[in-house]
Amino acid sequence: MMLRWSWATPRLALAPAVVVTLVGFVGSIVWTIYQSFTQSRRFPEYVIDPARWFSQYERLFANETWWTALQNLLILAIGSALAIVFGFILAALIEREKFGEGLFRTVLLYPLAVSLIVTGLVWRWIFNPSLGIEAFLRSLGWQSASFNWLAAPQTAMYGIILASIWHGLGFYMALMLAGLKSINTEIWSAARLDGVGVTRLYVEIIIPMMRFTFLTCAILLSLGVVKAYDIVVAMTNGGPGTSTWTPAYFAINAYSTRSNIGFASAAAVIMLLITLAIFLPLVAATAWQARRREAARG
Amino acid sequence: MTALSETRAQPGRAAIVIPRRRPRIKGSSIAIFVFLTMVSLFVAIPLYVVIVTSFKPIGEITLGQIFNLPVQWTVQPWMKAWNEMCTGLACDGIKQGFFNSVAILFPSLVLSIAIASVTGYALALWNVRWADGFLFVLFICAFVPFQIIMIPLIIVVASLGIFGTVWAIALVHAVLSMPLLTLIFRNFYKDIPRELINAAIMDSGSFWKIFWEIVLPMSGNIMVVVLILMITTVWNDYLVGLTFGGISTKPMTVILANSVITSRGEAIYNVNMAAALLTAVPPLVVYFALGRFFVQGITSGAIKG
Repeated sequence: MMLRWSWATPRLALAPAVVVTLVGFVGSIVWTIYQSFTQSRRFPEYVIDPARWFSQYERLFANETWWTALQNLLILAIGSALAIVFGFILAALIEREKFGEGLFRTVLLYPLAVSLIVTGLVWRWIFNPSLGIEAFLRSLGWQSASFNWLAAPQTAMYGIILASIWHGLGFYMALMLAGLKSINTEIWSAARLDGVGVTRLYVEIIIPMMRFTFLTCAILLSLGVVKAYDIVVAMTNGGPGTSTWTPAYFAINAYSTRSNIGFASAAAVIMLLITLAIFLPLVAATAWQARRREAARG
Repeated sequence: MTALSETRAQPGRAAIVIPRRRPRIKGSSIAIFVFLTMVSLFVAIPLYVVIVTSFKPIGEITLGQIFNLPVQWTVQPWMKAWNEMCTGLACDGIKQGFFNSVAILFPSLVLSIAIASVTGYALALWNVRWADGFLFVLFICAFVPFQIIMIPLIIVVASLGIFGTVWAIALVHAVLSMPLLTLIFRNFYKDIPRELINAAIMDSGSFWKIFWEIVLPMSGNIMVVVLILMITTVWNDYLVGLTFGGISTKPMTVILANSVITSRGEAIYNVNMAAALLTAVPPLVVYFALGRFFVQGITSGAIKG
């Protein structure tokens, strides 16, 4: 009896998590993929018309705004990647000069605790043309100062990128700092003894050693970008026009404004595919890292 | 997940850093210090701007000097933001959102931590044959975008009859955070020595008894980390609250966004900024009070994006 119980209880205790995974994730994903092949509008339909099973995707990729959204995804990813670059530079500088490390870290990291909605509203205020930074610079005498980025379709994405960098900079710095601190201290003294210059030390030794940290940062950043929704709502709400839509914004809009379940599902499926394309390298890299560690041990 | 736990585990090794000789202050040190100060200013200035704006009377704001300190300090905007700010037709301030957020926060904390800690414990310390496969599925679930499961979740929640209540929002938060929290707990518990658990089983300890008497008392650190992660995630969430909340159950972020972004008429900037600050205060307090754990929590929750 005792044995049977110790066999059964852990499995019973796992039941809630298994149910949540099967219903909330696996089942839901399958349902959404299925819906993307139907003609569902406001209410889900379960009949797939064999002649038109792909029509939601055809409509999606015929939609100009969807292409804008995909393009913005790319722009946002490239722009936000600056947060990783700056994060590394900051971490390297903080690591070198121990002076004030705690203070700098505290200041650089606090935006992480602020929600993206608040972040967006704050930056919107700073970008305000008549009362924000533009007005301030003009009052100093720089008459051609132009920071009304959010009002023009060409520059609105840059405003969003700036706010995203502000929000995420400290996070990437923290990850980089952790990566830097894991590097064996003997390397620093060995490099000094050999007279290796600082630039060469970083470019040829430190950065290659931290490639796994860089990869992790890049993947986390891309996953975050695919999910970019709150910051867009708070800063531009998609505007001007549809110039700052992202796939995440598009999918939500297709459901809540256009009330089109099939169409929204198709957009969500493409988001999932993008996520998986980003995610697979992480799995591969993790496996590779594990094998290397095993090899080093054995 | 291995990648993340790796980066988290590393700071411990920093203890053996050899102090570098620094005979005198070099020019490069000063340059670095100046550069770091400038970046810190870039990061700190938005908070400063929002704080000063929220204490200015509207007349001073229209002068367009966003960096100036208020000439005449006033708490009026804060009172208005709390009591009278308008969302659509209702002008009840942001206080309802605050109470909703609190009402969402607690059940979602209890639910998600209860499920995730027990699951993590069972997967880490009891021989479940399909544990590895299940962990891999959880790993993927922790990454998927919310949009891919949103509509089915709405249908499920509606069929439970709780759609539009704070319970719905709390439940969805618990579901969404389950994979990640389980992985965090499991990674923590798997380092508990096997001998300890085996001895406890020999000692006729049951699954639950071992959990309550041995495992849970050892979980202090990880509980703080997970709590911080969950408090910031749930409090700062916008999309779940927007999708699953009813008219009177929306969390603070949604009410803030609605009243600032979609409200028509003249924008009252000082009240808006006070409302934004009120929304940001709880997680900021957590951050400044528990900074060290906060970094750990956020880095382990990194994949939430």
